[in-house]
Amino acid sequence: MADDMVSLDDFRAEARAWIEANLEAAPPAARKGARTENVSPEEIAASRVLQRKLFDAGFAGISYPKEYGGRGLSPAHENVFAQEALGYVTPDFGGAGAVTFGPIGRSILEHGTEELKAEHLPKILSGEEIWCQFYSEPEAGSDLAGIRTSAVLDGDNYVLNGSKIWSTGAYYADWAMCLARTDWDVPKHRGLTWFVVPTNAPGVTVNRIEQIDGAAGFCEEFLDDVSIPTSYVLGEVGQGWSVTQTMLIYERGAGMSGSAGEPRRVAPDMVALAAKVGRLDDPIARQCIARAHILDWAQFHLGRRIGARLRSPDRPAPSIAAYGKLAMGTFHPIRAQQGVLIGGSRALSWAPGDEDAREPSINYLNGRMVSIAAGTNEMQRNGIGERVLGLPREPSFDQNKPFAEVVRDARNWSGKVG
Amino acid sequence: MDDDLSADQQVLVDAATRFAEDTFPVTKLRERAFDDAAFAAAYRRQAGELGWFSLVVPEEQGGGSVSGNGVLDAALVAYTRGRLLQPVGFVGANVVAYAIATAGTDAQRAGALTALIAGDAPGAWVVGDLSGAPALDGVVDATPNGDGWSLSGSAVMVDDADDTAWLLVAAATPDGPAQLLVAPGAAGVSFAPVDGLDLSRRYADVSFTGAAVPASALVGEIGDRTFAERLLTLASTLTVAECVGAMHQELDMTVDYAKQRIAFGRPIGSFQAIKHLLADTSTMLEVSKAVALAAAGQAGDDDAHAAQAASQAKAFVADAAMDQAQACFQVFGGISFTWEHDQHLFFRRITTGAEQFGDASWHREHVCVLAGIGSGN
Repeated sequence: MADDMVSLDDFRAEARAWIEANLEAAPPAARKGARTENVSPEEIAASRVLQRKLFDAGFAGISYPKEYGGRGLSPAHENVFAQEALGYVTPDFGGAGAVTFGPIGRSILEHGTEELKAEHLPKILSGEEIWCQFYSEPEAGSDLAGIRTSAVLDGDNYVLNGSKIWSTGAYYADWAMCLARTDWDVPKHRGLTWFVVPTNAPGVTVNRIEQIDGAAGFCEEFLDDVSIPTSYVLGEVGQGWSVTQTMLIYERGAGMSGSAGEPRRVAPDMVALAAKVGRLDDPIARQCIARAHILDWAQFHLGRRIGARLRSPDRPAPSIAAYGKLAMGTFHPIRAQQGVLIGGSRALSWAPGDEDAREPSINYLNGRMVSIAAGTNEMQRNGIGERVLGLPREPSFDQNKPFAEVVRDARNWSGKVG
Repeated sequence: MDDDLSADQQVLVDAATRFAEDTFPVTKLRERAFDDAAFAAAYRRQAGELGWFSLVVPEEQGGGSVSGNGVLDAALVAYTRGRLLQPVGFVGANVVAYAIATAGTDAQRAGALTALIAGDAPGAWVVGDLSGAPALDGVVDATPNGDGWSLSGSAVMVDDADDTAWLLVAAATPDGPAQLLVAPGAAGVSFAPVDGLDLSRRYADVSFTGAAVPASALVGEIGDRTFAERLLTLASTLTVAECVGAMHQELDMTVDYAKQRIAFGRPIGSFQAIKHLLADTSTMLEVSKAVALAAAGQAGDDDAHAAQAASQAKAFVADAAMDQAQACFQVFGGISFTWEHDQHLFFRRITTGAEQFGDASWHREHVCVLAGIGSGN
């Protein structure tokens, strides 16, 4: 493979030429905060066409192996393409897109059988299959290994029952990767298995969740006697937790600097807001403007620092990714608060229907999503405390006993260890 | 601070570390060894031999960086100095040397610059007003007097300043701000040593009472505010790096303590109340390292964005430093309220570093000024 590894410079030239000839320039967009947009079927259909175009030209799955429809190049090549494609219209599958090409695709590649890889990876890369995660549950978020959806073997099929929540984009996804408990008589981490579930399978109900900002990008699902063939198990039965580790590594890209450059213009949204309310010379508003910008800038440089360390083969330290995530989860709400502080009443009220004017309030609501999504701030703090700083763990009440007992005992917990 | 040091940078850092550990371990700090003029002079010369005062000076003027980015190299030294609580007006000497190297006259280079590089004399940039904020328009008044000026006014808490020091004075002339080089022992300049929170350095208030300064003392041009900005960029960047070094060491000590101190039957670091505080602190330290390196890198590259980066880094680190000082104190508990324990030495130094050359609020305002936000710009 090393022989076909085109140099980054050559690849950049090739990518640039193709992009200029084949992609449309994107209209300039204002900075938007963390947002889970509603995605329409038309937008998804258009993105599938565009993804197919990339696929046919060899620019889909740039770092995926060739035998599954990828290009067989490195993540650095992928990054080069993303840099060159900035400012052009590229496929946008919303939140489910990031999930599909990241954690889902990577875990299929790493843990899937040859049949699963051959069936799904080329369709993922060509835009034919969009995936989501059946992952968190109403009663298991941070404690992911404590999920309660059950999968019971019945002949050549597993029968799944339970409920899932916070699945990004499940309402337009074709497939889901679902974590379920196949063994209740072993400790929680050892009884888990991943299943490949078509979202249109009988017994699967997908509902959209209306969020605090009125959008509905996330979904909840109910699984009622959903029958899944044993060939649709990802990884080994009972070994779901090791697959989960792969997924988490690819989820924790959050907080890394991607292809965007260093933010140098001082918080344009905050400056515009201060101008609107006549506070550009107000020392208090100016403190807020600078504070917002400094957080953007600091997050960028943290991401770059951590990204470099994560890519360094000499010092493997996947746990430092939690720094980027915790910084984001800490900074986003503070940044969003600056908008409220600058705009005051005009950030908290607006003429009916004025989408731009309500942006500070929407950001204020959405700005806190990062502190609980994809690993809460507290989970990041545990990770940093234990795996980066080497602090000892809290005593555990559930590591060493069968999960069925854990659930029963927790209801009568007295505070005693053991 | 930087995980990717070049071999030459590693040599620089290793030499700084050895020198600091041998010459000024914490026992020397506690003895206030640096108050002894002979000790201070010897320390300064050795530091000069290690290149501490010449990294931001071009080779043809007797200086030289090890990586091609002198500010980045100096920031690595500053970080090591902060980690090991080293004395000497490192920031001031480098700012004065840099000013002369980039805009000084041949006579200034032959005299002051040579002395500063060798560590023969302290150097201090006199710019801080009573609040500690950098007065870029001049902290003392310069009245025209013959071919030169007469200085009057005062500056407080100037690091490593005494009558052997070369002072670069940010002066307000009728034609705008000017940087004036005042020779050691100049008449009309007096130094009043002050005690301070930070025990690892020595400070003095500096007063000018009609001090006569010749025209040849001018470094750069009169009214060149950009030049003052460049000096502030260097001062902020190196102060940030020193501060981050001290933060690193303080947090290391604190994490070790949290692993060893037992309460309620287990190491206190196992409690999430402590663990999460340390994780937050460690995250902000990681961000501090990232922004310190970014600011230093841009300053050394003469990036057009360097002044803004320096102020952003200073603002971020100043807040993070003071939050960290409290967090570490809280984890240590009673032991850190004793004179005997070292935590307060870091607490003191970090707090001082956060305030020097402008605190967080000053630098946030400065970010807006540099970006041209508002009608005053």
